[in-house]
Amino acid sequence: MSDSLIQVRGLTRDYRLTKKREGVTGGLVDLVRPRREILRAVNDVSFEIPTGEMVGYIGANGAGKSTTLKMLTGILTPTSGEVTVGGLVPWEQRLQYTRHIGAVFGQRTQLWWDLAVVESFRLLQKIYEVEESVYKRQMETFHELLDIGDFLHQPVRKLSLGQRMRCDLAAALLHGPRVLFLDEPTIGLDVVAKENVREFLREIRDRDKVTIILTTHDLADIEQLCKRVIIIDKGQVHFDGDLEDLRVRVGQKVRLTVDLRESVASEVLAETTTGLPVRWETAEGNRHHAEFNRSEVAGGEVIKSLVNGVHVKDLHMAEQPIEEVVRDIYRQQKEPSA
Amino acid sequence: MSELAAQLLTPWHRSASASVGLYFYFIRLAFLKFLAYRVRYYTGVVSYTIFVTGHYYVYSALFASAVAESATGQLGGLSLPEMITYVAISWIGRSFYFNAIARDLARMVQEGEIAVMLIKPFHVQTVMMFEAIGESAFRLLMFTLPIMVVIVPLFHIQSAPDPMIYLWTFVSFCLALVIYSQLNFMLGCLAFAMKNIQGVLRAKMVSMDFLTGVVVPFTFFPEWFQVVMSYLPFQYISYVPVTIYLGKRQGAELQEALLVQLAWAVGLFLLGRLVWRVSVRNVIVQGG
Repeated sequence: MSDSLIQVRGLTRDYRLTKKREGVTGGLVDLVRPRREILRAVNDVSFEIPTGEMVGYIGANGAGKSTTLKMLTGILTPTSGEVTVGGLVPWEQRLQYTRHIGAVFGQRTQLWWDLAVVESFRLLQKIYEVEESVYKRQMETFHELLDIGDFLHQPVRKLSLGQRMRCDLAAALLHGPRVLFLDEPTIGLDVVAKENVREFLREIRDRDKVTIILTTHDLADIEQLCKRVIIIDKGQVHFDGDLEDLRVRVGQKVRLTVDLRESVASEVLAETTTGLPVRWETAEGNRHHAEFNRSEVAGGEVIKSLVNGVHVKDLHMAEQPIEEVVRDIYRQQKEPSA
Repeated sequence: MSELAAQLLTPWHRSASASVGLYFYFIRLAFLKFLAYRVRYYTGVVSYTIFVTGHYYVYSALFASAVAESATGQLGGLSLPEMITYVAISWIGRSFYFNAIARDLARMVQEGEIAVMLIKPFHVQTVMMFEAIGESAFRLLMFTLPIMVVIVPLFHIQSAPDPMIYLWTFVSFCLALVIYSQLNFMLGCLAFAMKNIQGVLRAKMVSMDFLTGVVVPFTFFPEWFQVVMSYLPFQYISYVPVTIYLGKRQGAELQEALLVQLAWAVGLFLLGRLVWRVSVRNVIVQGG
């Protein structure tokens, strides 16, 4: 048995759905003989996460992210498979387990809606039996990092989404959990609020060595926070490894933008890189775009032949954004030949 | 790792004093929550007074026509002043024990909010029980007392036959609160299994006041109905506490009524825990 904190083996979860038939007759038939269908939301998922790691868990809508997270937090019982976190089975030892974890579900708050924020914190203090001195120290830290002091005495329903999310993060961490589950912690936030949340997560990751699993739609979260990503699609793990490996696996596509001094026909420009695997796109005036793959040709070589052929005013090389990398992963799965 | 695993695996139990502190805090929070919406209850005082007034005239008319034929001046074992008192006390009691746990729980399950309850190290059932107590504490002060101030002098409500009876009636209504909220809780648990329990909740709304004896005293019903009801918990929500107030149960009979009521409260709480366990096993948290 390995030593990892979180161990997931063969995790599977089915949902039973009733499929509706069309029209009035269909509706009547449904009453007598409903059509049941089994949807496998999570299919044989396995991974391990060592203590202190921050892992991004990504996938499209309905890929099975949230279902996995619900099983890891002990809310949902799996159809089959095993999960242990530090030796505990989440859904079987719920009271014991939830004592040591924190969770934020971005779309719903765990604060008491009608009451002042501070009442929720006081309640959490009692729920987790946090000592007064520890409570004070934690609240100071949260105030410093998340700046929540100004609205502690306001009812939760009057907070903005960004303020509420900061409070929710603080609420999830008040008792110093060793494992933190974040389900879309930046959903619906503006750029500044997102940055605040990320900054805070970086801080607790580095300082407290909290093990964090994060699901998100905003891949910038992953890029800025996680070294490791797990990609799930249709309930199955499609990739599990370093973010850098992910780029390599899809190919290190690079996008090149070139500004020329004078107007040059596309064909002429394309000729300069003849023999190299570079793909030119349609130009916008004197600005031209090209794509090539680093695993096939070095960037320097492309630029060298380019500069030799035409008058280049300026050029810019950008790595493929993570969104596109993920999209390519999905595409590869659909066309196995590629 | 091993140190962390040891920390996770160390058995953890909330001490008795910590439990008291925690659950008392839930009572307090529920009280504060309802205080924020207190204006809603001012209209309640008016509507409860209207209910009682309606019953007052119905029974007055009923007695005027029926009593002429009977020699005792009683209907279903109650005289007209007793009847009016029955109606008033049962509505006053209802203003205290009433809550909407079933609806709240169903909403939490349907909208997926139950997830944030399940990731906390507490028993959701116990928490909801104490929230219900907090709600009733609020109701007692802001709803039941104002209603009593209006109704008692308005309809010349009889005082209890013996000062201790006030205490026993209150104790009985407190046990009624536990029974009522546990039945409600189990009904709410149906939301785990059914997509939509609005129909069930509406059926409950209609039948509950009837089954508990708020609308009509059981003595008006045929013998077989009373026998069936005596094996069910519903009469302990309203009929039993109100008849205690009327002095219909005294001495050993009073003791027995309270003990059976206590047994129902404890039994339903345990059953509620079982129902909760089975329901959570099959939980499908919707959305998100």
